[in-house]
Order: sequence, then C-alpha cells, then structure tokens
Amino acid sequence: MNFEFGRVALVVLFALLPIVGIALGFFVPALRARGPLFVAFFAGIIPILSLYIPRQFLSGETGMRPRLDQWLIIVYGFALLLGIVNVIQNGSRKIARREKGWPYSAVLMTGLFLTGGLGIWGAVSGQGITTLPDGSGTPFKWIADHFFLPLQATIFALLAFFMASAAFRAFRARNTEATILLAAGIVVMAGRVPLLEFLSSPFPPLQPTAAVASQGLGKLTEWIMSTPNGAAQSGIIIGAALGAASMAIRVILGIERGYLGLGGGE
Amino acid sequence: MARFFDKLLNLDRRWLFLLVFLGVAVPIILPIGLPVTTTGPTRSAFEYIEALKPGDYVIISFDYGPSSAPENDPMAEGIMRQCFLKKIRVVVIVLYQLGGLQLASNSVAKVSAEFPNLKYGVDYVNLGYKDGAAAVMKRMGDDIAGAFPTDVRGTPLSQIPIMKGLRSLRQVSVVVTVATGLIGEYWITQAHQQSGVPVIVGPTAVGAPKYYAYLNAGQLVGMLGGMKGAAEYEKLLAARYPELGRFYKTTRAFTATKGMDAQTVIHFVIILFILIGNIAFMSRRAAQKKA
Amino acid sequence: MPDIGTWVAALLTLFAFSFLYKDNPLFRFTESLFAGVSLGYYVGTTLNQTLVPNLIKPLTHDFNQNWDLLVPGLLGLLLYMRYVPKTGWVARYALGIYVAYYIGLDFTRRIHGEVLPQLGRAIVPLSHLDGHTIFYSLIFAIGVFSVLIYFFFSKEQDQFTRRIARVGIWFLMVSFGAAFGFTVMGRVALLIGRLNFLILDWIYPLIGIR
Repeated sequence: MNFEFGRVALVVLFALLPIVGIALGFFVPALRARGPLFVAFFAGIIPILSLYIPRQFLSGETGMRPRLDQWLIIVYGFALLLGIVNVIQNGSRKIARREKGWPYSAVLMTGLFLTGGLGIWGAVSGQGITTLPDGSGTPFKWIADHFFLPLQATIFALLAFFMASAAFRAFRARNTEATILLAAGIVVMAGRVPLLEFLSSPFPPLQPTAAVASQGLGKLTEWIMSTPNGAAQSGIIIGAALGAASMAIRVILGIERGYLGLGGGE
Repeated sequence: MARFFDKLLNLDRRWLFLLVFLGVAVPIILPIGLPVTTTGPTRSAFEYIEALKPGDYVIISFDYGPSSAPENDPMAEGIMRQCFLKKIRVVVIVLYQLGGLQLASNSVAKVSAEFPNLKYGVDYVNLGYKDGAAAVMKRMGDDIAGAFPTDVRGTPLSQIPIMKGLRSLRQVSVVVTVATGLIGEYWITQAHQQSGVPVIVGPTAVGAPKYYAYLNAGQLVGMLGGMKGAAEYEKLLAARYPELGRFYKTTRAFTATKGMDAQTVIHFVIILFILIGNIAFMSRRAAQKKA
Repeated sequence: MPDIGTWVAALLTLFAFSFLYKDNPLFRFTESLFAGVSLGYYVGTTLNQTLVPNLIKPLTHDFNQNWDLLVPGLLGLLLYMRYVPKTGWVARYALGIYVAYYIGLDFTRRIHGEVLPQLGRAIVPLSHLDGHTIFYSLIFAIGVFSVLIYFFFSKEQDQFTRRIARVGIWFLMVSFGAAFGFTVMGRVALLIGRLNFLILDWIYPLIGIR
C-alpha cells in the first residue's frame, strides 16, 4: 500500500479527526459545531499555504495539496447531486398527497428517473453516456441530444423576447445616469453589428459612406469596451475580489459559520 | 398625439414578441449576407494560434452549455478546424456540468469527420467532463492524469498516444476556454496565474464585457466575444484557408456568420424600441407638465 | 422527412415558446420535463465522468495505490447525512471540508489572479501625456479609482469623495450600458439558434425544401 506522507497526513486530518470528532460529538454537543470548524480550517489553509510554502510535504509530488485536489474533485461530484434528494422528497410528497400541480411533479420525477436511470445503466454496464464502440449513441445521449439540449436552449431563448419587451416599456432616460447607460447601450448595439450597412443596403449611393461610418462606429465601440467599460469592470473585480478574499479568511478561521447552518453563538 | 403615445406605451407585449420573432425568422429564410469586420482581440487570438507549430498542444475547454451553444459552438469548432489544419494536437476537456459534455462530443464528432486523415488518440482526444473546475485546474497544473485518469470512453491516459508527451498545463501552448459563466475566469485567474499557461477565452456576449478587464491586464492573449467574435473568427479562417472559405460558404450547418444577419436586424428593432419608447415617454411627460 | 428525434426537439421547442402567448399546461409540462431531465443528466454525467473514473475504478483496479480515495468517497456519502433527522450534524464535517477547500483556492485566485493584475494595469506611468496615454491610460486609471471610491462604504463620504464617486457612477453606467448591449446580443443569439433549428432542420425538410 502506498503510504506517501501526503496521503497519510490527509487521512489523519480528514478521516481520523472527523471520526474522533463525530464520536465525541454524540456525548459533547458543543463539539458538533467546533469539530467541523477545526477540520475545515485545515482544508482551507492547505491550498493557501502550498502556494507560499513550496515544500515537498505540502505541494510536492507526494505532498498534501495535489492529493487533496484529487479528493475534492470526487467530493464535488457527490455535492452536486445533493439537491436531487431534496427534489425527490418534495416531489414524492406532492404526488402522494395529490397536492396542487402534482401531475407536473410526476412529469419531473419521470424525467429524472428515466434520464438518471439511463446514466446509472451507462456506468454499471460500462457503456458510458456518449457513444458506443460502433459509433452509435447511447440511449442517454439520445435523451440528452433531443430532450435536454433543445429544452435548455429554448427556455433561455425566451429571454430575448422579454428583453425586447423591457427595452420598449422600461428603459427610460429619466436622468443623467440612465441617459448615459442607454446611450452607451445603443452605441455598442449599433457598433457590434453591420447596422449602417444594413440600413444603407436599399440605397447603393450611400453604401461607401455607410461602410466608413460603420468602421468608425466599430472603433468607438471597441474603445468604449476597452477603456471606460474595462475601467469599471476592473474596479468591480478589485472590489469584489477583496470582499471575497476577506470572506474566505473569515470562513477558514471559523468566524463565518452560516454555511454550516450555525448561528454566531454556536 | 398624446393618445397615440399612450396606446403605444400600453401595447400588448405579444405584438412586440411577434416583431422580434419576425426580425429573427425573416433573415434566416431570406439571408442578407452582411459583411463582418474583425476586431483586435479576435485577431490576437487567431494570430496566436497561427503562430503555433505542428505537434504543439492546445487544450480546448468546453465550459458552456446549450444555453449559449449558437454563440460558442462556432468558436470551438472554428478553433478546432484551425488546429487540425495546422496539425496541432488538440485535447478537449469539459468543465461545465450542464450539457457541456454532449456539446463537446457532438462538436468533436462533427469537426473530426471533416478531417478523416486525423486519428482519435493520436492527433486529438476527448477527456470528457470532470466536476470541481477549480480543483481540476489546480491538479492539471501539476499532473493532468491526476484530474483526468481516463478519456471520455474510460480508456486510461497511459494507453492514449497523444497524452504520452503531455504531463501538465506547463507543456500546453495555449488553453482555449469557450465559456459561459465563471469557469472562463478561473482559467485566467487561477490556471494562467499559477501555471503560466496562456489563455484565449471565447465568452458568451453576456460575459464578454468583464473579460475586457482581463484583456487589458494582459491576462489573456485573445478573446472572441459572442456570436460576433465567432463570425470574425470564421472570416479570418476563410481568408487564411481557402478550403475553409469554401466550407463556410457552402455548409448547410449553422455558422456564426449566418447568424449575424438576424443579429443585425434585431439590434435595429431593439434600438427602435428603445427610441420609440423614450420618445413616447418624453412626449407624455411634456403633455403632463403642460397640463 | 425529419427523424423522430428532430420531431421531439421541435415539438418541445414549440411547447416552450407557447408561454409567449400565455401560460398553459403544455408549457408547464415542458418546464417540469426540463427540470427532471436536467437533474437526471447531472446524475448520469457525474457518475460516469467523475465518480467511476476518479473513485470507483482506481479503488477496484489498484487498491494498494489508491486506498486513500476511500476517504473522499466516505466524505461524499457523509454529506447526505444531512437528510437524516437526528444525526444531520455529522454532515457538517464533509460540508466544512468541501466549502473551506474551495474557498481556500478562491482566496489565492482572487488575490493573485484578480486584485494584483488589475491594480497593475491601472497604475501605469502618466508622465508623458500623449493622445494614447490620455484616451487609454489616464481615462482608465480615473475610471478604476473613481469606481473603487464609489464602492468604499466603510466610512461616510465627504463632498470631495462624493464628487469622485459620481464620476465612478458614470463609468459604471457606461459599463452597464455596454453590458446591456452585449446581453441583447447574447440572448438574441439563442433565439437565432432555436429558430434556425425550427426553420432549417424541421420545417424545411417537412415541406421538402433542401
């Protein structure tokens, strides 16, 4: 068995410590909050320290951080599916009690179990979920290509209509700031597409002028995107990043505990 | 006049929906063929890949789903075609969970069919999808096989010839992330910063404004913004490679260039909506002030 | 003639578009189906692409080399303990490790990937004021710092900083306007894709147009 330092250290920190914490937690309720925060500290500090301390035990081939990266890819997969349990619980309750809208819950559950079932079959049979060795698609792929892809695309495509409706009904130049916003929006919308060429297409004598004007508009659009927009986005990125970094420190140090369902006093 | 503007402002929105529908449908049925002009960020991306040599490694990361496929598919496929023509080795990965895998598989199948002389596993490979984007990139910085032990079909990387010369991101010439949402930013702010790999991003139009900040800071070597960026890339490809020029002119499949006609008409419609809405609003306000 | 897959995709697309006329059972059916299929898709993809190749296969094919992967597997399962009423607190260990790790990665990403490079771009030499410096570097620097001053909420702003914050608001308005323009582009592109499919891949073959 491979007993590299990194693996052993991770097993001690993230298996043995939690086991001890859980066992003690059954007898000492205060540890039910403090134990997880203690273990979480190590999970948060290892990726940070490994960047600043380039030592073998931390970030080397046999170190802790590379193996922890591989572990958390796996845990992320489990976490992604967490909400599905909740959906199944709610949907089953709705159907069993014949609550309002229960047929739609039945449709949801059918879609979930059919697609998920085909995915599980793909894993168990070794077929996978993309193509079979002969080049044909698996049943999961058929469902994905003809149900999932078109449905997701169409649900989002509806937004185009609502945005157009909002542009007509809600976007008003009520004050200086709103006027600047609308003006920038109109310039960018006109500059990103060959609008002037389109408008001049029924009038051939105007086309050369339209082409030159379109180039100018395009250059203005690029300047707006790179300079004022770039500056504002840069400011937003810096501000948000500093806020997120300070939140990260608070979470790792256990000051911020809301994500564990804990209040300030626990 | 005031009554006319009142009626206009209270128009049933389903008439607006119909105008939008016609604005998109008519150019699809009757293509106009409007010209596409290229911009600096797209040209930078194109020239960066043009400067690569046969045998160099490019990772194309499909970090988008069906909700942005009309914009992002042409970008990913255009770059794949360019790499295949230049005999650059392409490694496809997927980090977006909602549909990225299907889109990547479909695009790889579609483009590789245009290059029957290229062999899967030798010239290109699809490593499939992996959860935990940030952790995956971190791991790939040291050891790609640590994050992707197999390809999309479950074949171990040790049995795939193209992966024999590629251990980590540091040996990759450029990562092209075709992205919607945060994963594109992770490539720039994490993978590029920590392993030094150059990044080209192909964001959706919704995400593109933010990437200008990264472009300005030199964290990107190029960017294709939305469907316009994809159309620009197709134009650059057609100009450099006559066979692709013929392909883009004759293919029945959807291309970004074809989509630009409808895009132009709709932009005109929406600008009109904004102008008419504001004229009506200001007229009503002036009439109210008078009263 | 379009195949059955195209018919399914086309009909579902039309059912979804029917919402534009008014809310109706066909749209609700499509919406529920979309939610269910999406969740099932998550299950299939995560299982086949992450859990099998990264966890199950390494454990079953080479346990000696990969024995430690039992820990993330168990941690993953521990997450689901939150659904067990009396022992739900046990899941906090797995949740804490998961959240803290990704937030630790995020910390380094934010500082090294966002704050430092962006500040580096904004702080550029302004000693030589030619056209390029004014239109690019000077305006850029003014924009970044005025926006940062606008977002500074730790202390009440005085008259001077309020004026600078106003300039920051103008830069933000230009940015939001540009973002709106790009958002229009993005959303319309989706609609173009769907109508392209309906017209060219479904209706045209149906009526015999190539």
